[in-house]
Amino acid sequence: MNVEQVLFWCAVGCYGVSAFAYVFGFIAEKEKLVTAGLATAVLGFAAHTASIALRWVSSAVTPFISISESLALGTFMAMALYLLVQATTRKVRPLGVFVVPAVFVLIGWAGTLREATGSQLAPALQSGWLWAHIVGASIGFASVMIAAGLAGMFLLKEHRSGGIYDRLPAPSDLDRLAYRFVAAGFIMYGLMIVTGALWADQAKGSYWNWDPVEVWSLVSWLVYGIYLHLRITMGWRGRRLAWYALAAVVVMIVSYWGIPFSVETFHKGFRVEHL
Amino acid sequence: MTTPDAQPPLTGKRPPPGPGRRAFLVISSPRLAIALLIAVLACCVVGVTVFTPEPAWRLIFNTLWFNGLLSLLAMSSGLTFFGRIWGRRLTLISVGMILFHVSFMAMLGGVVFNSLFHFKGVLRLTEGETLPNGDPASYDTIELGRFFDFARLRGETTLVRMHRGYLVDGQEKRVAYEITVGEGAAKATATIYMTQNLDHGGVRYLVAKEGYSVGVVLHDRLGQEQYGAMVPLQSLKHGEGSYLYTTGNSKEPGSFPFPPPPDRAAILLQVGYVPDQAQDRAGQVEFFTWPPEGAAGQEKPAASGKVAVGGTFDAGAYRLEAREVRYWVGMTVRHDPGLMVILTSLWAGLAGMTMTFAGRIWQDAKREKRAAAGERPATTEPRGIT
Repeated sequence: MNVEQVLFWCAVGCYGVSAFAYVFGFIAEKEKLVTAGLATAVLGFAAHTASIALRWVSSAVTPFISISESLALGTFMAMALYLLVQATTRKVRPLGVFVVPAVFVLIGWAGTLREATGSQLAPALQSGWLWAHIVGASIGFASVMIAAGLAGMFLLKEHRSGGIYDRLPAPSDLDRLAYRFVAAGFIMYGLMIVTGALWADQAKGSYWNWDPVEVWSLVSWLVYGIYLHLRITMGWRGRRLAWYALAAVVVMIVSYWGIPFSVETFHKGFRVEHL
Repeated sequence: MTTPDAQPPLTGKRPPPGPGRRAFLVISSPRLAIALLIAVLACCVVGVTVFTPEPAWRLIFNTLWFNGLLSLLAMSSGLTFFGRIWGRRLTLISVGMILFHVSFMAMLGGVVFNSLFHFKGVLRLTEGETLPNGDPASYDTIELGRFFDFARLRGETTLVRMHRGYLVDGQEKRVAYEITVGEGAAKATATIYMTQNLDHGGVRYLVAKEGYSVGVVLHDRLGQEQYGAMVPLQSLKHGEGSYLYTTGNSKEPGSFPFPPPPDRAAILLQVGYVPDQAQDRAGQVEFFTWPPEGAAGQEKPAASGKVAVGGTFDAGAYRLEAREVRYWVGMTVRHDPGLMVILTSLWAGLAGMTMTFAGRIWQDAKREKRAAAGERPATTEPRGIT
């Protein structure tokens, strides 16, 4: 096992410990356990960052291509955004109860799919649009993941008080913050879809092919579009939207990694006719 | 009694709206817009869960009713939005929303326009071959809009050469086609590869698929050349990562009359090719022949054998020469007159979303600042427009 692999599994381990500390700290209302969860999440994030950097340096290929690499990047972005939110708003520390376990499960799955890097980027991927596409997809995922975490906190806080719940922001603040993250994720998904369309047009001459991954991306974008419409046009707030945000993130995860994993699509290997 | 100039009493019943107004109220209802969004969403989910890609395209995504649903969605969201924003003060939020909704409708307009006037064809050329662009017979497959005119495809296309392992700035592009397109003085020559296509006169040429062609020459017993042709071969997947190169169709090997109609066939011929791993365009050519009078289904060929490229095979009454190996390419030729509108709309829509988001954050920040200063908020978060 090389150093990059060791660091990757260290990250998985740290996130596992962090998830445990967060969940049990929250259930037992032990602030120290929650703090320990944050500390191990930071450690895991450092190892996660180093493993991605080493993989990038040791191969000639951008390490965000395969499903496993895409999962590693998505979870990396989610953790980066989560830690950024922690650094700016201490009140949302229990957000880790929702974010870290999900990250742990996803990165653990990435670990089971890991493979050696190639030495050459496939011709279809040698495009500047790749970067904008990946950045849009990963930040979009991170944003809606945080939004789902905030929605979860809203549901916990709504009818409870005392102890750890008193230190959480007011439900209306959580609701508004979740909406902002959904809106940001919606824009980043838009960026992902637009750059994906431009890229497909460049590579295949067709901006939209109704490929399963494309359609699922559209589905998750529409799901968040409906969230925004429900909030802004129909005036929905609070509990209903919080449940919606939690369900929407599941749709997003399925479309993002479940579909390319299970269905033959243009995204899976970017195959063209071979000689 | 009410005079014509008098205002109707406030407590009285309003006259019922006419059919036009009723239709407008229904179509500009936010509930309908959301219902249509959910309907499109449901169609997409069914299209990617119940069906595999090809039936989904045929039964949902390429149908008139689904495109009608998309059109209705664009119309409904446009009317809903513009009916509500009309007369409001222009702010960063409202300008962003206008941009998003205008771009959404422009994109749909572009899609409809493109579907009516577009062209997509696969032009199959062997190295050195030239085909007229405006002749439907030049294309293996064609997909076109109702109002597309073949006169739009002027001139001809020549495949000069296909390059394998083509490098651009040290990056391998796998294959590249060196092509010449156009007519007269307006001809353009370019090398196209994946992510680099040629746009000539609004028609785009893109790499798609490639294969081998074997130059087969038929000689009589005295060595006189009777007929010669480049024979394109199919690549049939043959185990993990390996391919069988042969005549036939996309599913199985097969023979064909040689020479083909309208000439009189001398034999039924099946050709195979085993490429040399070290040298490009070299290797072994396999021949299988049958008598021309309907023996295609016969199990055992009358003659069969293998020769190196450049060699001659003795097929009884005839000799077959495997003169050379060239590449054929199946190049995608596209004309998409609505493409620029569609792609520009995508960017404009994204810019609109970003402006609205930034505007809302700014508005929230101002409201929080006022609240912190103990002021009563001047307005609440605007509702009714998205």
